[in-house]
Amino acid sequence: MTGSSKLIPDLDTLPEIAEIGQIATWLAEAGLESVELSNCMGGRLRLSVAQAPSAVGQGMIAQPVPQPAVAELVAAKAPFFGRLCLVNPLGEEAFAPVGSTVRKGDIVALLTLETLQVPVTAPIDGEVVEIVGQAEDLVGYGTEILMIRPL
Amino acid sequence: MSDTQRFNRVLIANRGEIALRIQRACRRLGLETVAVHSEADAESRHVREADVALCIGPAAAARSYLDTDALLLAARVTGASAIHPGYGFLSENADFADAVEAASLTFIGPTGASIRQMGDKITAKRAMRDAGVPCVPGSDGPLPASMDEIQALAADVGFPVIVKASGGGGGRGMRVVWNAADLAEAVTLTAKEAQQAFGNPTLYLERFMQKPRHIEIQVLCDTHGTALWLGARDCSLQRRHQKVLEEAPAPGISPAVIAEIGARCAEACRKIGYRGAGTFEFLYEDGIFAFIEMNTRVQVEHPITEATTGIDIVCEQLKIAQGAALAIRQEDVVTYGHAIECRINAEDPFSFMPSPGTISRWDLPGGPGIRVDTHVVGGYTVQPYYDSLIGKVIGHGATREEAIARLRVALAEMRVEGVSTNLRLHQDVLADPRFQEGGVDIHYLERWLAERAPS
Repeated sequence: MTGSSKLIPDLDTLPEIAEIGQIATWLAEAGLESVELSNCMGGRLRLSVAQAPSAVGQGMIAQPVPQPAVAELVAAKAPFFGRLCLVNPLGEEAFAPVGSTVRKGDIVALLTLETLQVPVTAPIDGEVVEIVGQAEDLVGYGTEILMIRPL
Repeated sequence: MSDTQRFNRVLIANRGEIALRIQRACRRLGLETVAVHSEADAESRHVREADVALCIGPAAAARSYLDTDALLLAARVTGASAIHPGYGFLSENADFADAVEAASLTFIGPTGASIRQMGDKITAKRAMRDAGVPCVPGSDGPLPASMDEIQALAADVGFPVIVKASGGGGGRGMRVVWNAADLAEAVTLTAKEAQQAFGNPTLYLERFMQKPRHIEIQVLCDTHGTALWLGARDCSLQRRHQKVLEEAPAPGISPAVIAEIGARCAEACRKIGYRGAGTFEFLYEDGIFAFIEMNTRVQVEHPITEATTGIDIVCEQLKIAQGAALAIRQEDVVTYGHAIECRINAEDPFSFMPSPGTISRWDLPGGPGIRVDTHVVGGYTVQPYYDSLIGKVIGHGATREEAIARLRVALAEMRVEGVSTNLRLHQDVLADPRFQEGGVDIHYLERWLAERAPS
């Protein structure tokens, strides 16, 4: 996921050709045929790829983005509103506990709204130093969920 | 009152002064409120005072106050079972009203079908004409072939008339005729031009209103067949079709005439099965009322009707939405005195450009007969994203003179610093002898502003 600024584009505009290329590469690597993204505004983006014969493996992980030396904390904020979920509902483990290292774009929490799940992603590479949000709280758009110290 | 209360928590899908107004009405009725807001409005008064506050998106209205899906999700997640849309934003969006009801929530307003019917000017006019609401007098269809019949029709409608091409538009293919002598030539010429320009010589004719006033009738309808009219408002003082100052009742129009129109509006509501609060807007000139459109929501200027009738329109909206029958009957609706509302905007008093910024001083007026509806507090920041209305000052008195006098004192003691406002404009209007006479037309303010403009 490294390198993509947002997990779900806002769909107001089409993604850049380079982004579509990147997503297509990921799909091919994962052996997936298509992906469909939709947002709460009714926007919908569907990408399909022809199947590559074999996945390329881990080789595509991009280089860590160099961070500024200033170690100011950066908040991961809620991109929508919903009930805050800090634990992966599949794996029963915290997405990003204090002390864990996250990369920009990693899912650090989920916002759940009935059947809808909206990911909260890390805005930068770094170390999680504080969880600000309370699990199960109804959090609003823009609420700070956790604090990250840049690497 | 019905004993089946259908909701006890109301989501307010709006911002600013009307959100606070709705919140007050909810509180009066013991209803909880959910304030959904944009990031820019996080510090708003109604947000801080709500039972539940939820930021649903960024400042851009398209992703907050106009985001239907987000609003519905917010209602579900906060346990609100009714939505009050206020005015503006989604208040007259029929699809939104339908979506709210489809989600098993109560829309505090009319049905989507009513909004849709009134949203289309042609269907609205047809429905109103069928229901006996007066529209612009005219031929009600293509002109007859015989010139004698056209003459008779025009005489019936009354001069001046405007002859228009059915296929025309955008100001083309129309001609104003001031007297019977010029009619035949005008019809012949316009038909010829219409044939050349639009390939269709069909014409129609209606009364030409030169200097009309804007008169509107407030209605309130429950779901048990009761439809009331609550008097008239005169909203002729407008700039670029935006109302600046409104008053109730309409000066110089006899109560009997208003009662006749009001009764027809109420009857039309019963015929179309209208629900909730609404306003019938008319142009009025030389004793003729011509229906323009119906607003299917609460109006900005509702407080002047509240002042003169003593009826809390927003509370009544909530009670109607809960299925209650109106406890008021038409004979109980009595208007007292005169009320005037000044819309206070954060804008340059001469250029009318919005003046966003932080309000450093906010001293409000008071005293007998003065009501101020505002969401602003000292230190409030007027956002550039939304309209510039920062409050409404309403003056009420036993007579129009007393209402004007009270308002002039009130505006003189109001102090706003940090942003520019149109307070001075209101003071000048209230001091204007022609305004004081009453009954100015819808073009008056713009003419007056043009003359006032610094040279």
